[in-house]
Amino acid sequence: MPILEVHELTKDFGGLRANDHISFDLERGELLGLIGPNGAGKTTLFNCLSGHHPVTSGRIVFDGRDVTHMKAYEVARLGMARTFQVYAASGDLTVEENVMVGCYLKTRSMLKAKAAAREILEGLNLLELAESKVSELPVAAQKRVTMATALGTEPKLLLLDEVAAGLNPDEIEDIMTGIRHIHSELGVTIMLIEHVMQLVMNLSQRVIVLDYGRKIAEGKPDAIASNPDVIKAYLGERYVHEQTGGT
Amino acid sequence: MEALKHAIDFSDFPRVDLFVAGSVALFLVLFPFFPHSSFAMATMIQFLMFSLYGMGWNTIGGYGGQVDLGKAQYVGIGAFTTAVMLIRWDIPFWISMPIGMLLAVTWSFIIGYPLFRLTGHYFAIATIATSLILKDLFEVWEFVGAARGLEILPFKYQSPDFLRLIFKEDVYYYYILLGFFFIGLLYVNWFRKSRLGFYLRSIKDNEDVARSLGINVHWAKIKTYAIATAFVSLVGSFHACYIKNIEPEDTMSLDLSILIALMAMLGGAGSLWGPIIGAGILLPLKSYLKEWFGAKAGLVGIDLIIYALIIMLISAFEPRGIWGIIEKIRQRRRR
Repeated sequence: MPILEVHELTKDFGGLRANDHISFDLERGELLGLIGPNGAGKTTLFNCLSGHHPVTSGRIVFDGRDVTHMKAYEVARLGMARTFQVYAASGDLTVEENVMVGCYLKTRSMLKAKAAAREILEGLNLLELAESKVSELPVAAQKRVTMATALGTEPKLLLLDEVAAGLNPDEIEDIMTGIRHIHSELGVTIMLIEHVMQLVMNLSQRVIVLDYGRKIAEGKPDAIASNPDVIKAYLGERYVHEQTGGT
Repeated sequence: MEALKHAIDFSDFPRVDLFVAGSVALFLVLFPFFPHSSFAMATMIQFLMFSLYGMGWNTIGGYGGQVDLGKAQYVGIGAFTTAVMLIRWDIPFWISMPIGMLLAVTWSFIIGYPLFRLTGHYFAIATIATSLILKDLFEVWEFVGAARGLEILPFKYQSPDFLRLIFKEDVYYYYILLGFFFIGLLYVNWFRKSRLGFYLRSIKDNEDVARSLGINVHWAKIKTYAIATAFVSLVGSFHACYIKNIEPEDTMSLDLSILIALMAMLGGAGSLWGPIIGAGILLPLKSYLKEWFGAKAGLVGIDLIIYALIIMLISAFEPRGIWGIIEKIRQRRRR
């Protein structure tokens, strides 16, 4: 049984259709990439899955339960965690305290929350920053803190929204190490939105492509890279002929 | 057990803080033994009352960032419950106070449920509105004395009456209030480290993120609002026994609501010491400015102008209040 089943998911904002009958399954233990040009509806899809947006029509089944109309905090309690694109992390709190907020979902005890937070921070190589205020950290570290905070809720599925955006190559390496750790060592199923192709193509086992709210392609990363529809969506009609017509 | 340990654990504060806090605590305990005027004693009692108001306000307003400008309605509920029960049925403070708390908290759930559908300024305005409505209701409600209010007649009781909290000497009131003050401080010290405290801080920062971490934002706010209410209602009950003459116009006024929020905010919302610093500086300042300029120099009104000026200066200089200024100086020194 897949951990996530999405059937004909549609989301309208007034007259604008941001997600248009999107369907896909996500298997347990999978690492799925979600790509598409700006405005394709990727983040909207995340917001629908995590319960932050009410869904216009369609159905979302998570871990065997229909979560289509659940509130965000209810979905989170069932084991779906996420990060946000623009949001870094709570600036007023220290790194450790941020992660503890996540950990408090599973325990009332401050000591247990603290111990759990330390363990997560260690796994993501953030332990030396534990006492720093998040607002004083560089963006790359803040992004890792948001991942750590989401992990605090002990999720089964983690949605990562552009965690590598705006980072330099070294920092992207660090983020990738972190994602690999979460996926293989902690055994969390991951779905990630990313524009950094190096990351998507290296990590994803499967990629879904959105364009104008619709799913236009799905498959292995290398197959996606040479898919004419995808090239058209990203680069325009002309490049499809240059790339595929030439060979 | 763990909760108690966290309540008395202040170890995450720098040593200087603990030294200052300890000295202040010692001073508060010994204050009645120093020679003092009755005016100074009254000011100290007001300081303790506003510290407790501020501690309560700080849970929802400071840690939670929900600016609540309607706390006077709960002062009223506490005060009138205690006064009505004492005058009509001779029920002592120690029974009427928890009952008043219960009534206030119940009322806070009833209005908190719809109120917390609002955010930001709209929430603040709505809290003012509910408080004024309740005040108006009390003003026409004959059972609680309507607009005349209620008066506890001290000569009916034998001072010192520890059950009913009727004393001739202020020093008794002072020590009982000081007891509440320390309990309140320990409670907030626990609260800020508790799950709810962390949740509130996360909510203050970003509600969508809080939701994604499994936090029921609406419920967390309502619960904390109830905690803040319990503090305020307790002081309200105390106020009834201490002042002995309560009327809605006074006890439930918008002025009081704003003063509660103002002192906590100027002291430093969202910090443990902030509300105490706020009350500790602003309350004596207000009292003595009034005494010097108003009563002695005959310049009525000047005190309020100076008071307002100081408030404006603090808020212009550092929106996080006096505690924010202290933190800023510390950070600069560290670098």
